[in-house]
Amino acid sequence: MEQPPCWQCNKKYTGLFCAHCNALQCPVDDYYSVFGMERKLSLDVQALQAKFYELSRLLHPDRFTRRSPLERQYSLEASSLLNKGYRVLRNPVQRAEYVLKKEGFDIGEQGTKDVPPELLEEVFELNMALEELKMGDQQARGAVEEARQRFAAMRDEIDRELEQLFQQWDEKHERATLQQIRGLLNRRRYIHNLVTEVENVATLSN
Amino acid sequence: MAYSQKVLDHYNNPRNVGSLDKSDPNVGTGMVGAPECGDVMKLQVKVNPQTGIIEDAKFKTFGCGSAIASSSLATEMLKGKTVEEALAIKNTELVNELSLPPVKVHCSILAEDAIKAAIADYKRKQAAREAVVAQAQ
Ligand code: FES
Ligand SMILES: [Zn+2]
Repeated sequence: MEQPPCWQCNKKYTGLFCAHCNALQCPVDDYYSVFGMERKLSLDVQALQAKFYELSRLLHPDRFTRRSPLERQYSLEASSLLNKGYRVLRNPVQRAEYVLKKEGFDIGEQGTKDVPPELLEEVFELNMALEELKMGDQQARGAVEEARQRFAAMRDEIDRELEQLFQQWDEKHERATLQQIRGLLNRRRYIHNLVTEVENVATLSN
Repeated sequence: MAYSQKVLDHYNNPRNVGSLDKSDPNVGTGMVGAPECGDVMKLQVKVNPQTGIIEDAKFKTFGCGSAIASSSLATEMLKGKTVEEALAIKNTELVNELSLPPVKVHCSILAEDAIKAAIADYKRKQAAREAVVAQAQ
């Protein structure tokens, strides 16, 4: 993304701070660019954290109390982007959803597509068993626990597949990969919600 | 989230909860899910093969109040309709009837998808049966 020249010294630069006069620039509305990183799906969370602390320090409001109102405004905007961005980017699932959105994939309103019918069946069955358990049918407990383990294993498997696809996209930037990622994320959402739900019920009835 | 009166009514007294015999050739089953939230819905219709009219409809939804209300209302609307009339039911009718807010539109889409899936399943079964009959002749 081409940035306009520095508002203060009018020179060309890339990044949050001008390389020539060090003035804070109007932040681009993109989490990756606030962090000064390329849009990659695989990302070193430790490095992200280090960068987050460093930028938080550089953008701290105390450093801007005597700067121009414009820069004060920029620093507020940049800090809020930084904080939101950190929350999203450090989580692989949210990060992937963010990248999909930025790459023009709409997450909402896509109906049942991308999810195999057998998975829906299984999700439905486990929900049924869970409901019986909630209503006090202790016989359902075994089935629920067994299903929980199976679903948790499915989720782990999906996470492994996601990791591979992340690398693949970072290398080749093919839309087909993003399509596959979206399919996996959809499947993951059903499974994840259910596993969480089962865990809630289990703690309640223990 | 404040639910409308109608949503609350269907939510508290859902109509036609339950299931029909999946293996009955006159029963169509639709199983759908909303990837936005991970909710799932099963909707079934039982069709009179002579008249093509839907005689019974049942649903079971694991999801939010709007999804439950949408599917409950859908089963009410389905009864007495022909298969073709049922296919013409649009999620917007559910949205209007239940006064769903924009963020809950996908819940009504889920119900429309479920109707379509149930009818497609019924038609598939009928076609398979006709094929068997044709072969036997
Ligand atoms: S929020 Fe998912 S179906 Fe309503
Ligand atoms: Zn400058």
